[in-house]
Amino acid sequence: MGEIAIEVRGLQKHFGEKQAVDGINLDIAAGSLAGLVGPNGAGKTTSLSMMTGLLRPDLGKVLINGLDVWKDPVAAKAVIGVVPDQARLFERLSGAEMLEYSGRLYGLPADEARSRAAQLLDTLDLAADARRLVADYSTGMRKKTMLGCALIHNPSVLFLDEPLEGVDPVSGDVIRRLLTRFTGSGSTVLFSSHVMELVEQICDHVSVINKGRIVATGTTDEVRDGKTLQQAFIDLVGPRASGEEGLSWLGSSSS
Amino acid sequence: MARLFVQLKLRQLRNALIGSTAARVSFIVSTIFAVLFAIGTFIVLALFRGTYSVELTSVVFTSIAFGWLFAPIFAFGLDSTLDPASMALYPVRTRRLATGLLAASATGAWPLANLLGQLGVIVGLAHGPLGVPVALVAVVLEVLFCITLARFVTTGMAGLLRSRRGKDLAAFLFLPVFAAYELFAQVVPKLASSGKLTAASFAGFDSWMRWLPPGLAAHAIQDASDGHPGTAAARLAALAAVVVVLGWLWIRSLGHALVTADTSTQSSRVRGRGRARTALPLSRFGLRGTLAARTWIYQRRDPTSLVFWGVVVVIMVVVSIRLILSKSATPSALELNLVVSGLFGAAFVGVFHANPVGLTGPPFAFEAMALTSRRQLRAYFSGQNIALCAIGIPLLVAISFGLAAWAGHPMFGFPAAAADLAGLGASLGLASVFSVAFPYPMDKRMGSPMLVAAQGYGAYRFADILGGIIGTGALCSPVIVAVALTNADPAAVRMPVLVVCSAAYGLALAWAGVRIAAIAAAGKMPELSQIAIHSKV
Repeated sequence: MGEIAIEVRGLQKHFGEKQAVDGINLDIAAGSLAGLVGPNGAGKTTSLSMMTGLLRPDLGKVLINGLDVWKDPVAAKAVIGVVPDQARLFERLSGAEMLEYSGRLYGLPADEARSRAAQLLDTLDLAADARRLVADYSTGMRKKTMLGCALIHNPSVLFLDEPLEGVDPVSGDVIRRLLTRFTGSGSTVLFSSHVMELVEQICDHVSVINKGRIVATGTTDEVRDGKTLQQAFIDLVGPRASGEEGLSWLGSSSS
Repeated sequence: MARLFVQLKLRQLRNALIGSTAARVSFIVSTIFAVLFAIGTFIVLALFRGTYSVELTSVVFTSIAFGWLFAPIFAFGLDSTLDPASMALYPVRTRRLATGLLAASATGAWPLANLLGQLGVIVGLAHGPLGVPVALVAVVLEVLFCITLARFVTTGMAGLLRSRRGKDLAAFLFLPVFAAYELFAQVVPKLASSGKLTAASFAGFDSWMRWLPPGLAAHAIQDASDGHPGTAAARLAALAAVVVVLGWLWIRSLGHALVTADTSTQSSRVRGRGRARTALPLSRFGLRGTLAARTWIYQRRDPTSLVFWGVVVVIMVVVSIRLILSKSATPSALELNLVVSGLFGAAFVGVFHANPVGLTGPPFAFEAMALTSRRQLRAYFSGQNIALCAIGIPLLVAISFGLAAWAGHPMFGFPAAAADLAGLGASLGLASVFSVAFPYPMDKRMGSPMLVAAQGYGAYRFADILGGIIGTGALCSPVIVAVALTNADPAAVRMPVLVVCSAAYGLALAWAGVRIAAIAAAGKMPELSQIAIHSKV
């Protein structure tokens, strides 16, 4: 493995009685497009929130390009971009205003922020809607706007939480191509998802999280171990009982 | 179908009692208010006997109908049976659906309270052998009118109320309702105690209200009681016809609403600027300017912010109006009253903006990714304050001078403006500190256009309000003392000194608040972010 971009050691978080994240360790090489997969409630969002400085861990350490997120948050946050699972956009700003605002928050000069915002809007296929309020954007447009906001300061590490959830195939393709291009230039992406086909298709590194613990990590080929990622994931996480015996009437049109 | 819908409504009401604490409290409080409303209305209507009883009954009936007209706009979302779109998937004909929805509307504490309360006319306006039976029919028709009116409005506006713009409209309606309430609470008792508002005053209202459906009901009771059954029957027939027409219109609009797409969310664009120019003009003034630009845009585009400013204006007017109207206040009392009015207005500017973390909601977490150092956080708090002052200073000063001119002492606008400036500085300074000391998530309850503190955080909101008002008053006590002690000095010397010193004092207070808040926030940005993420705005 080359230079480590994301280094996580012994990360823990509990909410009341529930141990949401139970001492995870993770090493993601620079230039990787890494996936963090797990069932609902496995601890993906909590882990990503702690890695990005938005949720204080109970224990553990997170280094981004060698910068400690919790000891030197100013420096660490300057090199990361985040696309959260839920829209965290200012609904009453237009798309153009939102991107420019993001650029200015990250310290870009006004001209540079404006110029990058325009380029990103073009690339993300949002130029025609640049002056519409975010409040009136569709889910896909919001995801793309969030991605633009996360990229405008050219971070070296990008975190995405369920980036393609609720996104149509066309917008999804735009996001996929942008991520591939981003990592092609040596930057790093870590994203969470439970869409195995997507992870298998574009990720070179996969970590599987279940009940707050990393149960498998490595290159995509190592983790799937000759199977599809979907099958490997089900084997790791365990199938769930279906209890379909009681639906004998289903499929009958008589009543 | 009617039975099914009534059962659905009853189940919803029952579920409110086994749901969350907030839903339970809300249901119980609503029911208590309904009972109080019924008792109050019954007593008031029962007291209307003799001269002007029909005029007063008309006014009460019309007021209740107006209440039903506006209630669905605020209550939309409380009762899922109200939204025809939720029924669109079921194979039910419009007429049967309408019957069911109407029956569901008539079920619950408020329709019952409406019916029982209005029966007070049997004791009041109605008398004689014909009066009471006609009153019973009139009250039933009046309640049916209220329900069909509410249904018609709700269905007609259902598409709009599901959209962002409809909810914005509902937020704006809060302002006239608040202003009307405050005016009523302040002015009506004053006018009544001074003898300017008597039962005879309502005779004028009745000259046109008698032709409205509620007026028809009241006058039908009067006619029957006075031995004119023909006129009473004609009035009741007219009222019944209105109810039928309204019901027919409602069924038509229901049929239309079930198959019409909601186009009201198709947005307009923000005001056009060429792409060569910046979307955030103030952002060229660094991080502080960027934050000010965002806050400024929100103050213009967010209806809640606009409503907040409207409430500030109403509060300032209400604080002064009694003394201005009394015409017997001494000049020094008037001057002090205008100063207090300015301080109240300024205090509420701070109170409304004392929780930017919760008010901003999840987007605050987005800002938190970029704001970490004390310098950045000073820019964050001061940028917001600059935008608020850009609106608050001219607005508060204009209101103060307007009130002073209305009171007949335009020069009193200067000490009031001094209080505005010092008060704004104090309240915004306190708001900055409170925003870090007592941050709490906000919630948008179903059916309410205004934000409230999330469940369990009511005490924080209370602390914000009380702390903001008392704190602003305490911090500005030097200004009040200075105004009181110098009122014998020449105005040419006194006014500029008061205004300039108060502005400097306010600036110092605001700056101190920003510095304290930035130091405190730097150590707890993750915690603030979590509060913001849990805000449902």
